[in-house]
Amino acid sequence: MSRLTAIITGSDARLRNAPLEQAVAGLSLTDLLADCDALDAFWRSAENLYERVRALFFLYAIHRFHLPPLLKSEGSTDGDLDATGRIGFEGYAHLLERRFVEAIRVFLAEAQTHGRTDALCSALARGYHQLALQLLADQVRLSVRAVRGNQWMFRTGAADEHPLRMRTELLQMKDGLYPVLHERTAVRMDLSHSSWSDIFFLGMDYPEGARVLNVSINLAVLGRDEEPEPPVEAMLRVIDQPVLRLTSVDLGATVEIHNLEEVFDFARDHLGLLKAGLIAAGIVPIGLEGSGEPLTGVLERLLGPGLGLELVTHVNGIPKGSRLAVSTNLLGSLISVCMRATGQTKALTGELEEGDRRMVAARAILGEWMGGSGGGWQDSGGVWPGIKIIEGCAAGEGDPEEGVSRGRLLPKHTVQDATVISDENRRKLEDSLVLVHGGLAQNVGPILEMVTEKYLLRSGAEWEARQESLKMFEQILSALRSGDVKELGSLTTRHFQGPLQAIIPWATNAFTERLITNMQAEFSEDFWGFWMLGGMSGGGMGFIFAPERKEEASRRLLEVMLAQKKLLQNSLPFAMDPVVYHFAINEAGSFSTLKQGPAALLVPPYYTLVLPSLLRADPRTLGDLRRREIELYDQRTKSESAYQNSVRRVLDNLLPQRAGGVNSNGEELSRLLSRNGFDPKAHEFLRAELQAGRIGLARNQLPTSVRVENVRAGDVMEAERDLTAEDRRRGEAALRAGEVGVITLAAGAASRWTAGAGVVKALHPFCQFAGRHRTFLETHLAKTRKTATEHGAAPLHIITTSYLTYGPISDSLEQDDYFGLRESVALSEGRSIGLRFVPMERDLRFLWEETAQQVLDERQNRMRGSVRQALIKWAKWAGEGSDYTDNMPLQCVHPVGHWYEVPNLLLNGTLARLIEQRPQLKTLLLHNVDTLGANLDPALLGWHRRCGDTLSFEVIPRRLEDRGGGLARVNDQLRLVEGLALAHEEDEFRLSYYNTLTCWIDVDKLLQAFGLSRDDLADENRVSTAVREFSQRLPSYITLKDVKKRWGHGQEDVFPVAQFEKIWGDMSSLPEIQTGFAAVSRLRGQQMKDPAQLDGWLRDGSRDYVDSLCRWS
Amino acid sequence: MTISKAVITAAGPHQQHLLLQTLIDREGRNRKVLGLLLDEITSAGIEQVALVVRPGHEALYQDAIDSAQVKLTFIEQPEPRGYGHAVLCAREFTGDSPFLLMMSDHVYVSDRAGQTCAQQLVQAASAQGQMVSAVQATHESKLAHFGAVSALVHEARERLYRVNRVTEKPSPTEAEQHLMTPGLRNGYYLCFAGMHVLTPLIMELLQERFESLGAEGKLDLSSSLNEAARRARYLALAIQGRRYDLDHRHGVLMAQMAVALDGHYRDELLAGLVELLALTPAKHGAEEIAQA
Repeated sequence: MSRLTAIITGSDARLRNAPLEQAVAGLSLTDLLADCDALDAFWRSAENLYERVRALFFLYAIHRFHLPPLLKSEGSTDGDLDATGRIGFEGYAHLLERRFVEAIRVFLAEAQTHGRTDALCSALARGYHQLALQLLADQVRLSVRAVRGNQWMFRTGAADEHPLRMRTELLQMKDGLYPVLHERTAVRMDLSHSSWSDIFFLGMDYPEGARVLNVSINLAVLGRDEEPEPPVEAMLRVIDQPVLRLTSVDLGATVEIHNLEEVFDFARDHLGLLKAGLIAAGIVPIGLEGSGEPLTGVLERLLGPGLGLELVTHVNGIPKGSRLAVSTNLLGSLISVCMRATGQTKALTGELEEGDRRMVAARAILGEWMGGSGGGWQDSGGVWPGIKIIEGCAAGEGDPEEGVSRGRLLPKHTVQDATVISDENRRKLEDSLVLVHGGLAQNVGPILEMVTEKYLLRSGAEWEARQESLKMFEQILSALRSGDVKELGSLTTRHFQGPLQAIIPWATNAFTERLITNMQAEFSEDFWGFWMLGGMSGGGMGFIFAPERKEEASRRLLEVMLAQKKLLQNSLPFAMDPVVYHFAINEAGSFSTLKQGPAALLVPPYYTLVLPSLLRADPRTLGDLRRREIELYDQRTKSESAYQNSVRRVLDNLLPQRAGGVNSNGEELSRLLSRNGFDPKAHEFLRAELQAGRIGLARNQLPTSVRVENVRAGDVMEAERDLTAEDRRRGEAALRAGEVGVITLAAGAASRWTAGAGVVKALHPFCQFAGRHRTFLETHLAKTRKTATEHGAAPLHIITTSYLTYGPISDSLEQDDYFGLRESVALSEGRSIGLRFVPMERDLRFLWEETAQQVLDERQNRMRGSVRQALIKWAKWAGEGSDYTDNMPLQCVHPVGHWYEVPNLLLNGTLARLIEQRPQLKTLLLHNVDTLGANLDPALLGWHRRCGDTLSFEVIPRRLEDRGGGLARVNDQLRLVEGLALAHEEDEFRLSYYNTLTCWIDVDKLLQAFGLSRDDLADENRVSTAVREFSQRLPSYITLKDVKKRWGHGQEDVFPVAQFEKIWGDMSSLPEIQTGFAAVSRLRGQQMKDPAQLDGWLRDGSRDYVDSLCRWS
Repeated sequence: MTISKAVITAAGPHQQHLLLQTLIDREGRNRKVLGLLLDEITSAGIEQVALVVRPGHEALYQDAIDSAQVKLTFIEQPEPRGYGHAVLCAREFTGDSPFLLMMSDHVYVSDRAGQTCAQQLVQAASAQGQMVSAVQATHESKLAHFGAVSALVHEARERLYRVNRVTEKPSPTEAEQHLMTPGLRNGYYLCFAGMHVLTPLIMELLQERFESLGAEGKLDLSSSLNEAARRARYLALAIQGRRYDLDHRHGVLMAQMAVALDGHYRDELLAGLVELLALTPAKHGAEEIAQA
């Protein structure tokens, strides 16, 4: 048994919890590879799921973090082009298809041939990581299916086998109406935070470490609602048509479902959650999916002939991302009302019994799995009353998990009644805690994966933090029991700043830190603490104050949040304006009432939504039930203000929207376009080309006859091997002489970083350096400051911008006084803008059907398929190739690619001005805003000058994640080639080097290539003609970008839209531009495209490398 | 334990019609359902039978009695207070004796040669000296119609189970959590087959519960059976046979066919059925064929 498998199987806790990094520290490459072989053999034979998964995570971490440095020092393959960056396409294709075991087999076979290269390590790391997560996810799914009470739904394969019947109480009409079963459910907050121990995987492997203090609460929005109410409601009633009528009042969506297929099509509309609820509650058993049964058959069996069911949900204005588990509790509410109605719970009305609550929770997990989402096991806490401890349970005899995992899927809930936490102490908590939604919308998925990974690796600091967190749980519980809310606040703050951030540094952000600092400054001793809800801060958060100042603090907090949002809205992805809540502990949990006779109406906003269409319909088509309902509604509007108010809103909804928003958006869009030099003729030309199919995704590709080959020996300068002391001296001299400048490309909208939220990436405060969050831009300027200090002359630093980024970057620099570099920083204002198009169906299909796509987990794949069908319908409905204008103006336009950012320097006079200031300027280093390691390295600068090339591009040896082209010989010409230009995806996998886009530019030679000289720069016409003519020699690529459209309360839809762009790397394709290529280290060349990269970037030393290049202000 | 008495409840709203329904018996004779039930009872050696009926319905049944072996007593249930109450009405009749309880809307076909379902049950109860209910493994899609038991195997060869819990018309969710019985296929539960041998204990329990009910409360039998399982040994026998519930859509038809297919004219019926099937294609199937 190897030392690592001994850790995994160790019965002694100290051995079992030994951190991997400690176990592999100091091992030689040979020893570590031997350990890898042992682990690889172990996971294949181990019977215990968690032992297999842990072995896989060990293998992942070794390949991701521990082998690459050893390969560099002991097993270098530098310069061996057969090995550098080479990953077989076959293995990659297996990864895409989720055949992880096969992928690993192929990569290992390659390693036998070429040795375990850096590239193969990246591929193996991905394979092992994905396989481990897949095994864990599969186990949760199996466990969900295996829960007793859930299994029958998977067996029911025909309408005749449907075992449920509607309770007779709901089938008995009174006063002409069927009764309404009305469920009201709390949401939950996790007072202990729990260090994410409610992730299913953790609870199932480490049940003793999975504990949370979960509180069911009612909410009221400050300034809108009077008293806190259960925020989540679900209503069910029988209707006289054999259909399923689903309505989400808060999302403004209603649909009548006529066939089973639609029930399983979650992404077809905004009612996926209601459908998941229907299925998880067994009304439409999951086994019926694909059965071809008529829905009427199912309904007849359930309700009787000619009858159907209406299900209505209402979330009382609580926005998405509140970290209060609104969607899980809404699902719980839906499931509860459906289970009650079909006799699956003991009680039809009132509170649920404990066994029934557990069943509802199990079904909610099932529903989340079906919807392709997933929460933690405490999320359905709102179904339970009051305050409870939820903790993992060891799997025992008879549990489906026995022998598979140490813990059970479902945790244990222990309600803390008034004898444990007195009413007075509960009031104290209510009197001090201010709950808020900061407005940030963030994806917590990567955070949860990081937590799982770190737990399974038992990484030293994180494991200690988890133990510390467990101790703090007891202290928090004790503070609550004794009513010491001040101590509670102190503990939650220490918890947030200590263990939570030790486990996940990304749990905090600049917005949160500013809020805490502000509250501390303003309320000093009366600010008792901060508390993070859910996966990460920025959305739902808690601030604890002395009770006598709570009212004042609530108001101030709202003002401060709004002010900070205004300051940061270009940097961070805010989905909505911040809100402050009043809350009260809900002591009933999910609670149901049966409304009969004249009381059998739905909530007033339901009528605001549905009445306009009912009133427009021919009255003769309304059934008796609807007529009676409208009569009763009419009566209620005369006596109840809530119904009265809904009538007013009905009138608003009756008339088509005046579309004030759309008109004003339209005007703003026109202004934006004209201000930024939009060229309508070129736009119309592009549209015609796009609609005619002369340009498009398929047309981006080079002809298939083009020969794409890997570089040859001598094509690329290996920086670590080939740079000389003379190069360094030459570069240092140039720096001292002030002949050098930097161009940071900062026109981008952080499409991938924020999944289309449209913020300024340069201003994203992505990481803490020297004690506070720093933006990408500040990091680049800190490198310039260091260069200036080291060489005695401040290099020029040009920041190129676009319509989107100019104003915010300019304001931000002013605000920070250019970080002390005012004299050497120049902003180049973007002069190019494009208007996005609604995509062509052929391009959507090409992207989704003709290019290799990552296959997702079965359910997520179905969801994605369904979303894609809906998006194709949208494109056809909105008009393929038409202008995309149905969004905020800034989301309708786009920068036209980074190629334009350099010509813009010529067009807007920036370069002319700078040359005038510094006539000695000869060389520019251009880099992307997310290439954090790029700096004015003197040796590379000296090499560029030695070679005398117009452009010198930096490339890095490829890893698996480096997709999108690379350095190639295209018909024997050495050039950079974009991924979207490659006709065969396999070609990319033969390329050793990936383009970093970092590029050294000889200013005069570049001008010459444009047909210009320094003296010509003053001649606007000449410059403009030169740029236009030059631009025509470069291809325009059509790309599809995701943009978010925000609506409702923090809701977001993502649309793929078409835009075009020209790319700087294509400069290397022009024969007259002399271009050189240097292979640099990954630390220098890697780009940060996705926040999920941050953790690995921190752990593999990249962050420290960047820090070492900077001098912070 | 000797069982010499039987009770049939027929006081439900539709039950008199079902009990008077005419079926063709195994020998091809026209018989009332009541007659078939009495045959079943007498086959078990029981001659004293009480029929619990609605007030004034006695005369309806007089003509349907075609068994001379039976001494039939009519007991009126004064008001419809539930199935348990109907049973309780026979307390005076059953006295201190164990008795066979049968429902009036079930017809039985035995799969055990030479032994009716009632015979199997009475024999088991006599041998064990305990309360025994006849049960049948029933698919979960039919749970909404029956009482179900949670039970452990008592004597496997004798098909006897020890009952732990009784639940009336459980949901599949509840059944899966609490009523799984070892040895049964997934999705199958032991459900009552409408036939029990009960002891005076059940009358005591029914009386207790009845007294605790309000003036209009309904008394069910399952709750008292559940209580009986806690107080005494209570067994279930998986009968070798099938029960047909007449009170379903096509219930009478299915019962008729089952009885007939078990009798002398099986071949004649089969031929008729085959002809019927051949002449009556499924409508939507035919449309699909036509479209193709």
